[in-house]
Amino acid sequence: MYSTEEPTGATDRGAGPAHSWRRPELVLALIVLGLGVFVIAGTADVSTAGSSLGLGPRFFPVIVGSALLLIGLFYVIDVVRGGHGDPEESEDVDAGARPDWRTVALVSVIFLAFAGLLDLLGWIIAGALLFFGLSVVLGATRRLQAGVIAVVLSTVTYLAFVKGLGVTLPAGLLSGVI
Amino acid sequence: MEGFATALTPVNLLYALVGVTLGTLVGVLPGIGPAMTVALLLPITFTVPPASAFIMFAGIYYGGMYGGSTTSILLNTPGESSSMITALEGNKMAKRGRAAQALATAAIGSFVAGTIATGLLVVAAPLVVDFAISFGPEDYFALAVLAFTAVSSVLSRSVVRGLASLGIGLVIGLVGIDQQTGQARLTLGVPQLLDGIDVVIVAVGLFALGEVLYVASRLRHGEPEVVPVGRAFLGRSDWSRSWRPWLRGTALGFPFGALPGGGAEIPTFLSYSIEKRLARGVAREEYGKGAIEGVAGPEAANNASAAGTLVPLLTLGLPTSATAAILLAAFQQYGLQPGPQLFDHNPALVWGMVASLFIGNTMLLVLNLPLAPLWARVLHVPRPYLYAGIVLFAALGVYALNSSWVELVILYILGMLGFAMRRFGLPVAPAVIGMILGPMAEIQLRRALAIGAGDVTVLVRSPIAAVLLVVALLVLAVPLVRKLVARPSHAG
Repeated sequence: MYSTEEPTGATDRGAGPAHSWRRPELVLALIVLGLGVFVIAGTADVSTAGSSLGLGPRFFPVIVGSALLLIGLFYVIDVVRGGHGDPEESEDVDAGARPDWRTVALVSVIFLAFAGLLDLLGWIIAGALLFFGLSVVLGATRRLQAGVIAVVLSTVTYLAFVKGLGVTLPAGLLSGVI
Repeated sequence: MEGFATALTPVNLLYALVGVTLGTLVGVLPGIGPAMTVALLLPITFTVPPASAFIMFAGIYYGGMYGGSTTSILLNTPGESSSMITALEGNKMAKRGRAAQALATAAIGSFVAGTIATGLLVVAAPLVVDFAISFGPEDYFALAVLAFTAVSSVLSRSVVRGLASLGIGLVIGLVGIDQQTGQARLTLGVPQLLDGIDVVIVAVGLFALGEVLYVASRLRHGEPEVVPVGRAFLGRSDWSRSWRPWLRGTALGFPFGALPGGGAEIPTFLSYSIEKRLARGVAREEYGKGAIEGVAGPEAANNASAAGTLVPLLTLGLPTSATAAILLAAFQQYGLQPGPQLFDHNPALVWGMVASLFIGNTMLLVLNLPLAPLWARVLHVPRPYLYAGIVLFAALGVYALNSSWVELVILYILGMLGFAMRRFGLPVAPAVIGMILGPMAEIQLRRALAIGAGDVTVLVRSPIAAVLLVVALLVLAVPLVRKLVARPSHAG
């Protein structure tokens, strides 16, 4: 159920018999722990040659990795013992509401599709689709209005950034037109 | 003085005006704090020459701060922590029909505090530079460690969560080619990661996309209640009740802003409680129902701390807040490293930026008193459009870096991370600071140890470094001590 808040795609290794082991925050704590392993293991193949003092490119990562293992361990213990952080407050967040995973998943799909199709479609089309899709998913009821704003916004940003500020954005399908 | 010569050219004045306006506009938008404002607007300055870019940034920085307070006064939902305190009295004032006065005391207080604090910056910066010119690598390393522990322990109620956030940032900072040996680290074979993960991607991912995903998970439905407002102004009695809190707020804000981990939260809160204690007569009765002192003091403290943050940033290259970390990244984008040398090599740029802080402050005052009704209207932006727009600009900023869709995927992963951190109460600022300052700490550490020929005691041989490291440890212990002291009184 809470696999969507899990950036690395690992499964919930923390599921166990005791109630406190089923807390979603445990996944984040385990990620921190896992990052420590990742840093130490991931730099194992980095050659330490080039420095006679043992201060090669692995020196600092090993310190950071060890610190993360320690922090991750304390974090896991804290979560299992019932500690919890305060969810951040924000203007448009209803802290009491039940998490709406469907919307999060839809936002994710739209964004990743945008990332994959941007070079093909070009900024104007892909950007408009991104804005339109997200605003509908997030609750815009007037589709026509959302569509018009989407096209205007992506066109204006394209013209302003590419022609005005010299930033490179893909023209894609419209490369002959603009 | 020569700074004004740089800042007062018509082109740079225009950049300052654009910066101030954009900063306020984006800062007013709900859900966008000063750090996100600066991160989102970073791409606009990519093609601008450095001096003009930093003049614009100065405007964006102050404008973003100011915009946040408008949001918290007119829309009673605490957004960024720095203007949370302003919402306490500010929104109650607004509800009692004194929104104009609340906005005016915030605007004028910000101007007064910003001007005095920028003046203090001018005085303090050369002194710190003189002191820091003799710093060795071990001192810089100790300074970075202090910044790490301070930001992790102060910004979070739970030290372990602050440190976890810091660790995540340090790992992100490790990705890429090692600057000293040219070895690739933690790149997982992805060529786009060889140059490391750009700070714009990290900041925009953790702040902007993370916020949108978080909002998407529990969107508040229904129209938010925005208090309508006319032109902002102050009556005679409001003036006399405001000026002392402004000055006291400035005195609190500047030093706290300059300290590692100080930020704006502590001084605004201190200012609020001091004004509450000092309140007499009408003020005493009004406190808790919308007293102007409770807006004037914290707002001044907020802005003064923003100027205070610039002291360690410019003189030592040490960011003490997430916003400062992003500003530091902006410097690095131009190949500039803030520190004592920057004042020697690039005086025109530094003093031009400082001068534009004075100018930006004045522009903010002139702009914001009459424009208050306009900013109030910005708060009505339909939320679906607002958050869809944030994502569009986030994607634009990241894609503009290297024209790479792979980086958009990295942005998404970081956005998910930012979402998880928000959801579970991990502060985001330590991650951003760890990511920016981590590589610097590593270089200084290796340099220091190389000088000491591998002898670890070299790290504490300099008295400055030793003191800083001890303080860094003590800072970590502060919340523990607080907990131990608090426990008996809870039991009793």
